[in-house]
Order: sequence, then C-alpha cells, then structure tokens
Amino acid sequence: MLSRALAAILLLATCGVDPDDGRTVVTFPGSALGEEGRLLQRQIVRFMEENPDIRVDLQRTPDDATQRHQLYVQRLNARSHDPDILQLDVIWTPEFAAAGWLLPLDEAAVDTDEFFPATLEANRWWDGQLFAVPWFVDVGMLYWRTDLLPAAPATMDALTRGARAGMSDSVPRGIVWQGARYEGLVTTFLEYLGGFGGEIMTSDGRVVVDSPQAIRALTFMHAQIHNLGIAPEAVLTWHEEEARFAFQNGTAVMMRNWPYAYALLASDDSRVAGRFSVAPMPAAPGGHPTAALGGNQLAINARSDAPEAALRLIAFLTATDQMLERAELAGQFPTRHALYDDPRLAASLPMPADQARAIIEAATPRPVIPIWTELSEILQIELHRALVGQASPEVALGRAARAMTEVVDEAGIPELQERMRRRGVALR
Amino acid sequence: MRRPVAPRQRGIEIEERRLGWLLVAPALVVIAGIALFPLVWTVWESIHLHDLRMPWRGRPFVGLENYVAIAGDRRFWASMGHTVFFTGTSITLELLLGLFLALAMNRSFRGRGLVRAAVLVPWAIPTVVAALLWRFLFDTEAGIANALLVGAGVLEEPIVWFIRAATAWVPVILADVWKTTPFVALLLLAGLQNIDESLYEAASVDGAGPWWQLRYVTLPLLKPAILVVLIFRTLDAFRVFDLIYVLTGGGPGTATEPIALYTFNVLLQNLQFGYGSALSVIVFLVTFGIAVLYIKGLRVDLTGARGR
Repeated sequence: MLSRALAAILLLATCGVDPDDGRTVVTFPGSALGEEGRLLQRQIVRFMEENPDIRVDLQRTPDDATQRHQLYVQRLNARSHDPDILQLDVIWTPEFAAAGWLLPLDEAAVDTDEFFPATLEANRWWDGQLFAVPWFVDVGMLYWRTDLLPAAPATMDALTRGARAGMSDSVPRGIVWQGARYEGLVTTFLEYLGGFGGEIMTSDGRVVVDSPQAIRALTFMHAQIHNLGIAPEAVLTWHEEEARFAFQNGTAVMMRNWPYAYALLASDDSRVAGRFSVAPMPAAPGGHPTAALGGNQLAINARSDAPEAALRLIAFLTATDQMLERAELAGQFPTRHALYDDPRLAASLPMPADQARAIIEAATPRPVIPIWTELSEILQIELHRALVGQASPEVALGRAARAMTEVVDEAGIPELQERMRRRGVALR
Repeated sequence: MRRPVAPRQRGIEIEERRLGWLLVAPALVVIAGIALFPLVWTVWESIHLHDLRMPWRGRPFVGLENYVAIAGDRRFWASMGHTVFFTGTSITLELLLGLFLALAMNRSFRGRGLVRAAVLVPWAIPTVVAALLWRFLFDTEAGIANALLVGAGVLEEPIVWFIRAATAWVPVILADVWKTTPFVALLLLAGLQNIDESLYEAASVDGAGPWWQLRYVTLPLLKPAILVVLIFRTLDAFRVFDLIYVLTGGGPGTATEPIALYTFNVLLQNLQFGYGSALSVIVFLVTFGIAVLYIKGLRVDLTGARGR
C-alpha cells in the first residue's frame, strides 16, 4: 500500500512531460557508479543534445544487482509508470516479461540481425517475442599468468597440471573463482558443467542438474579445494572482486572472471600488468569450453508514459558508437557481432576479436525461465553445501534437482506457455 | 446498587465519555494503523498463494496450506534450531559477563563514571557496522583473529572461519556478546543499586562471606532486573537478522540461517508473499508467546519482591 502511494507521488512528480519546458521526460535508474556511471552520464548528455525534445533523468540505484532487482520489482508490482527504462540482468527478462511488466519490442526498430543470437534469445519469451535490447554482454573467461604457464590449459587435466606447475611460495594459489553462496557460484558451476558436457535444464524444461556429468563437474570443483589443493578454501567466501584482488596481487596462477577485470588487471597499479592473458574455460573429454552468458539489457516499462522517447534512448545507447565507447572505457563487450570486425573495437578488447566472438557465440545462457532466481537459490545452497563438505556432490545435486523440479512443476510453466501461445502475446 | 442519576447528570457523563473517546481516538487510529493493520494484512496474505515471481498463478485463497507446507519445511525447522541455539548461547554469555561487569561497576573506584560510559561504546555502534568490523577481524588473510591464534600456537595455519558451521558461529556469537553485554550490564547495575546496603551489613554480621552474600542477597534481589534483561534480550536475539546477514549471510549452505533471515529471503528475495507472510505470522506468534511468558513471570516476581 505504502509503496503504491509512494509510486503515485513519484508518478506525479516525474511522469510524461516536464511542465516547465514541455520536454518529454524519460526516467532511467541505471548503474551510476565509477567509470561506468561517468560514461553513461556523458552518453546521456550527448543524447539530449541530439534530442532536444527529451529530458533523461538518470536516477541513482544500488550497484548490487539483487538490490536493483528488489527496487524494480517493488515499483513495477505497484503498477508504477516510473521508471521508463529498466536495466535488466540477463536472467531477469523472462521473469519481468512473464509478469507483464515489459513492453514487447518491435524487432524492426531494433535491427536484431546485428546482435548475437545468444544475447537475443535470453531476452525473448513466449513465441520468441523480444522484450529487451542487449546492451553489453558478459562472458566467463579464464585469466592466466603468461609468466608462469607456457599456454592456457585446454582440458581439465591440463588445468590441474598448470595450476600445480605455476604454484610456488609467492604464488600460493593455482586457481581462484567465485564460490560464495550467490548467483556467481552458479555461473562458475555452469562453466565446469558445460566443460564436462552437462546442463542445468534440457530444452524441454526438465531439470537435469543431477546428471553424471554434473556430479563430475561439482566433484572436480570440490577436489580443486579439498583434494588437489589448487584452489584456496577461501574461494568459498569470494565474489568477483576478492578473486580479482588475489589475481591482481600476483598470488594466483589462474582466475575465472568476467571481462571487466581485464582493464583493472592491466592498469599501472596492478602487479600482473603485462603478465597475464585470457582464454576460454577448459573442457574435459565429452564436454566443450563453456562461458556463462551474462550482461545487461535495456527494456521499457509496460506502463511507461513515454515509450517512444524511451525506445529512442535505448536505440541510442545500443548504437555502434556508444558500444565502442563502452568497450573502450568500461571494458564491456558489445552485443553487436559486426563490431568484432571493426579495428576500433580490436584496440579495446582484451583478446583477439575473433576469439572474443567465438566465446560469445558459444556462451551458455542460464535457463531462460521466469522463475530462474528461485531455481538458482536452491542450486546455490546445494552447490555451497557440497563445496564446503556438508554433503557429497551426488547427494547435494540430487536434492537440488528434486527441489527445482518441484518448483518448476508448481509454477505451471508449460501450461502458462500454452495459454499464452493460444492467446497470442497480449500481455498488458 | 446504582444511585439514581438526574437526567442532566447522566447527559454530562455520556458527554464526558464521548469526549474521552474523542481524545484517545487519534492514538487509537495510529496504533491500529501501524500495529494492527499490518498484522491483519500479514495474516490475510498468509492464507493466500501470492508469488510475485509467478503472477500468472493469480492470488487464490489457500486456507492453511502455507502453514502445512511450513510444518514440512526442513529449512524452516533448521532455521528455528539455529535461532534457538543463537539465543541460548548468546544470552547465557551476556548474562554471565554482564553480571560480572555490573558487580565491578557497582563498587566505588576512581573514574567509575568514565568506565560506565566507556562500557556502553559497543552498544552505541550500529549493528551493521559492528558486523562488518567482526567480519574483518575474522577475515582469512587480513583478520586479526587468525593472526593471534596462529601466533599463540592454537592454530597451525590461518583458517577460513565462514565455511564451516562450527567456526562460522564463533564470530556471530562473539559479535553479539561484545555488542549487547554493556546493555545487559547497565540494566543489572540499575538493579544492583536498588538493593539496600543494610542487607549486606546484616549479612556480614551474620558471618556471610562474599559468595554467600552474592548467592543469598544479591541474586534473589536482582531477579526482577534479570527478568527484564531476559525479556529484552530473548526477543531481540530471537529476531536476529542484520548481524548474521552481514557476517555469514546464513552460510555456509544455510548452516547459520536464523528464522528472520529465512523469512526475509522468502519475502524479499523470492517474493513469495503468501508463504513469507505465513512465516512472519509464526515468528510473531513465537515472540508474542515468549513475551507473555516473561511478563507473567515478571509480574509474579515483582509482587513477591515487594514482600506481599
């Protein structure tokens, strides 16, 4: 009730048209921190210069994705017309679309041919209707020390051997990754899972996270810490930044992380500047090198009072020039595949453009399903239990699969899809 | 027998009663608005299926289904167990330490005022800040806990405190004890100062040493103060949230997750309003029950203490 009342006040305050100068107002609570925030502000100023009839209100939001998610859900659930533009994590689009909170987008207005299919697929729901435009794409990669290893490991065995060969008193860690109990652990697991040839859900919606491949993948992650001694126990409390600190201080041979780390590791105050490189994650026989697909999308609130202006801003922010600038300054990979032939992009990428393109094209999305965050929580807890030794990988994954299947069945996803298919995409 | 009242006088009585209601009405409205309404609303939510993540399921009435599901929810029972463990352990330690501090502060010595004020410092620090502080102290690499224990030869090498249930509880309990013992000590000190000095004099005349004085004079007379401490601390500890949210996040796995954190996860992370509301109602009933028990105990004891 209170949030509804607040939303109503916000609505009066910001919606539609500025009473003073008659400009259309577009509200955008996006990431506003650090270099990324400054970049976004500059781009928005440029947009307003080119579009004098629009005023963009960039609102500060929590940088933490979970908190931004809560903020959006509270406002949208209260049927707020504000904000107009939403910055969505790749796993939220189906959830928000299923709730009827997103405006279906006209494919023709977005020149979808130019984007990586994988990034578009993550933003489709119900009969392939597009609900958000991929803004930048994140892929999990293996950072490795060129001064300690002759080449990046391509297999899991090579990873173990390389970690051991590179470890010493001054470099006590073979490999570091994100092992705290949060979404990042699931993305790390997803990459080992693909590396061993498993998946979380089949294309027809069955949970198969207890497959032999999955058990092998989780057993390998567990062994890295407890048997092989190549990953520190502390990774089980680490997020992206703790892993980066360890690698940047020169105390790890390898690291699993997103592209953002590259620019920071290559900067002047990094101890490993010039002594590291990136490669796809390794794979075991029967598996394939797997990168978890991450990244952010831009979508329009279904109740927005300025959908046309919002779409113009999204088109601007996802246009070639802005993406190139974003890649150069924030190290975020463009979602347009054509750009990977552009020499301007090659200069700002951490790896050969061909290789980056190959990693993105093969990137594995997490299941595109509205209840992913709920499924993910179950998986996070069971993965963590197995990795800290509270349960065997087999038992933990068995429990996870049962609990996840229960939620999927209860949610009635197949029925929902069928109903929507018959009704067409009339969501609002 | 009622005295016959003149019609005019009865009119005045009614008038006064009406005025009385009118005067307390604003307070009643406020209480209803901030206490009663949310409670009724939560109960209402708890008998419905309401999942923001699955809006297509609508919001059907499900009766007691959420409560039945909770009865079979292993994570719920585990979190209840964690809460009881945390409450019991932390309060026991706080009472013992608090009593010790209060007895010390009750003696007259130079700088007593300063000590009494200084003791309160941990209590004045916001819980989240205190929790961050303790997380840093127990950090694997930079933490002073590992450095001290390795230096003293207790540990062979630094350990990761937050990946085992047994070690993850250590900073949680220590942080709570550190933070709330001053509060306990202060309440007990107030109780100590209410005890008549002549009782101790009489006890010494009878040949009672310090231990006997503590056992047969101080503790019985301190009972009301101890009960007040128990009420406040039990209710607080039972609803523990921010400390554990920051320190362990309920991990490893869900091994340190208290009921308040589980409810928060269900309500605000998973947005299951129906199920989460049912959990909230249960937390409410339990804390309400604890409060009633204590208040009953307190009343009996207070009258007893007054020597009726």
